[in-house]
Amino acid sequence: MRRVGLSLALVALLACSLVLSVRFGSVDLGTAEVLAALTGRAPDWLRSIVIELRLPRALLGALVGGGLAVAGATFQALLRNPLAEPYILGISGGASVGAVLMLATGAAGAALWALPLAAFLGALFAIALVFGVATASGRGMDVRVLLLAGVVVGAFFSACIALILSVSEARTIQSAVLWIMGSLANARWGSVIVAALYTLPATVVLIGLARPLNLMAIGEETAQYLGTDVERVKRVALGVAALITAAGVAVAGVIGFVGLVVPHAIRLLVGSDHRVLLPLSFLAGAAFLALADLVAKLALAPTEIPIGVVTAFVGVPLFLVLLRRSLTA
Amino acid sequence: MRLSTEALVVRYPGAASPALDGVSFDVASGSLYAVLGPNGSGKSTLLKALLGVVPAEAGRVTVQDRPAHGWSRRDLARMIGVVPQGETLAFPLTVREMVAMGRYPYLGPLHGEGTRDREAVQRALVQCDIAGLASRDVTTLSGGELQRVRIARALAQEPRALVLDEPTASLDIRHEMAILELLRSSADSGMTVLVVTHGLDLAARFADRMLLLREGRVVAEGRAGSVMEAPILEDVYGWPVAVEPDPVTGTPRVTPLRSTDPARTPEGRNG
Amino acid sequence: MPVPRGTAALLSAAVLIAAACEPGREPAELTPAETDRTMLDADRNAVRVVPPARRIVSLVPSATLTLAALGARDLLVARTDFDTAAWIGDLPSVGGGLQPSIEAIVAVRPDLVIHFGGSQDLQTPRRLAELGIRHASVRPDRVEDILAMVRFLGGVTAEPEAADSLVLHIESELEAVQRASLGAPDVQVAYVLGGDPPWVAGPGTYIHQLIELAGGSNVFSDLERRYSAVSPEEFYRRRIDLILLSRGTAFDERMAGGARIVHVSPALELPGPSVAASARELARILGRIP
Repeated sequence: MRRVGLSLALVALLACSLVLSVRFGSVDLGTAEVLAALTGRAPDWLRSIVIELRLPRALLGALVGGGLAVAGATFQALLRNPLAEPYILGISGGASVGAVLMLATGAAGAALWALPLAAFLGALFAIALVFGVATASGRGMDVRVLLLAGVVVGAFFSACIALILSVSEARTIQSAVLWIMGSLANARWGSVIVAALYTLPATVVLIGLARPLNLMAIGEETAQYLGTDVERVKRVALGVAALITAAGVAVAGVIGFVGLVVPHAIRLLVGSDHRVLLPLSFLAGAAFLALADLVAKLALAPTEIPIGVVTAFVGVPLFLVLLRRSLTA
Repeated sequence: MRLSTEALVVRYPGAASPALDGVSFDVASGSLYAVLGPNGSGKSTLLKALLGVVPAEAGRVTVQDRPAHGWSRRDLARMIGVVPQGETLAFPLTVREMVAMGRYPYLGPLHGEGTRDREAVQRALVQCDIAGLASRDVTTLSGGELQRVRIARALAQEPRALVLDEPTASLDIRHEMAILELLRSSADSGMTVLVVTHGLDLAARFADRMLLLREGRVVAEGRAGSVMEAPILEDVYGWPVAVEPDPVTGTPRVTPLRSTDPARTPEGRNG
Repeated sequence: MPVPRGTAALLSAAVLIAAACEPGREPAELTPAETDRTMLDADRNAVRVVPPARRIVSLVPSATLTLAALGARDLLVARTDFDTAAWIGDLPSVGGGLQPSIEAIVAVRPDLVIHFGGSQDLQTPRRLAELGIRHASVRPDRVEDILAMVRFLGGVTAEPEAADSLVLHIESELEAVQRASLGAPDVQVAYVLGGDPPWVAGPGTYIHQLIELAGGSNVFSDLERRYSAVSPEEFYRRRIDLILLSRGTAFDERMAGGARIVHVSPALELPGPSVAASARELARILGRIP
């Protein structure tokens, strides 16, 4: 069956992309050297490269990519909007304001965790603000208001960032721009643990909500008639998807495109049943971001290109091919 | 299964006058009940209140023998299949996937569909004559086909009552009749069927009883013969009509009149 | 907030704990015996100078030039993409000077990495600390900083005498320029680094110091930051006699008004040992020395 075949293919692709990410990097190492480093029979510098740099980076890419794809699919279903993506509710804007504030005030230099924590809190603030506006009527959450509030709040955060940067030193602007573009270069075992703590349980929760999400895609009224507590599903699913996004932005900056296009690509291949769509989106997003990061590392090594550039350059043609195929089929 | 309301009042937030004002009715098992009335008379609101989607300000809604809010959404979904008015799909789905959603009230979050569920889906597809469309994308269907898919989804719920909001709006004669025949036979086999419709003539032919609403109040309730009288309908719809027995079926038939029609003058009507 | 509060609090705590587990960069606590074996870098962190560095990666071009001037060229084991001088030869590159490839740095097994200080690149020093690689920051903003950088690099390479004589040489050159410019008529100078609106050198920069040393007045000495973009209106409003542009910099000449525009050599924007030559170049442009 097509779904089973695709699942196996994606698991294999993810495994390959993880292996390749550990095998290749800006430094040219042999397979034997990498294996020696993994089994502990290698000099310190070699083990540092493989175990402290490449391994956490590969895993972080997979976790963030998978999380963004699942969050994107969830937002698209709940907002009933194919243009929805994880950053649509202003989450990236809130996180960026937090991060840029830390950079501008110098707090980011004082403690390693200051920047990711501020980014995370900024993201939570954005979510709280947007949810607060959307539930202000007291009659449940209106997703159209949510969407509008998200876009407006996002624009407001952009203005905040522009304001902070305009009164900052050139050096701060430079590091802020680099952070906003997103990167996996700062992956550490600590950030892998954080990303895993959020992404994996949240993904399980969302897969558990797959049927209500299917119903929401038809309409909230119908979903109610088919036994769904619509308000509860909206709150839990949006909250969980927003947390995945917030954690992803905190550890890897704003990586665009994965959360928008991966769910659509999987939809074109297997349809819109979220019981299949969500797990396959996770696998595809994880493999896609790990591979994109490999390209980002290798294309101009040792200089890295921003991973958002790679996700767009690889993702757009791939997606257009899929779209064309589905239209002509 | 009994569906009933008693002195039901519903008011939308911020609205001056209630959308429903003291509405009472009672639908018995095995009967087809039609809710009629002009646009904005509260027909759809009545359905939503009955299904607990909009809260009642006063009065009572009873499903089976319990107040409607005493049932969980899931319990209601196992008892009542609903075909709401419009649905816009955000993403494409196949016909089978859409109909299979009728089984969701019976499934746990991590349980797949079993043999019983697949059988119920297949029965519903056959009943609505869409088994041949099972793997089609619903966004490519015609209006009549889509409507049958939605009714099949409600039937797949294996409900004891069906509630439909204008199920035959904008369908051609064949599709309209096919759906009404299906509803009639469902009622005959013991199901409670409640239909909101604008089709007075067909309601007169298919429904056991009917409710006529105007501005949220009940104007008339009962058999077609007692509800569909020209003075009542003219008052409710604000348009002159003639009501005569249909020569083929003998049920009341409503003809809206033009200013040039002879029947428009009092003499014409009397003669 | 509709996110279940308990869950959110719990997960936030998880971020905090996981973040706190990552090693930060604490200034080392030193015993008296260690103090004379360490030097403070530009970020006031103690850096061991024993054993002397023998495999150096310099991410800062001016530090690279300083090491070369100290005769420590052979100690360099990598370069950045911006070090393209012929003498660098075919050393492997580690990418840019900001956010370089850590992996490429680890692979050349350096015993010292020189990186930018301050907040420009926070990740690189943290990463190096985690991996146990000795590293030090330089931040050559003003002439004093440049001299401190020379002494520091002399210290970590066990060439303090070479450093002292380079410092003496730079100081005497600057003094010579200052003597030649004493009593000369005031010239209002703007130094434009490019950009639109143009970026100019403000106070707290060695460029500002060199201009003042050569008897000029920096038109933009009232700015709050070292380098900042200024409105074209400021160019019309202020009296400017001389505009200095580095070669290849686009500049809307209408903004010059009556001021003379002179193109200076790109070396003027290198805060390294070449400041002595840069000071002479400015003095020549201002007509203080032939």
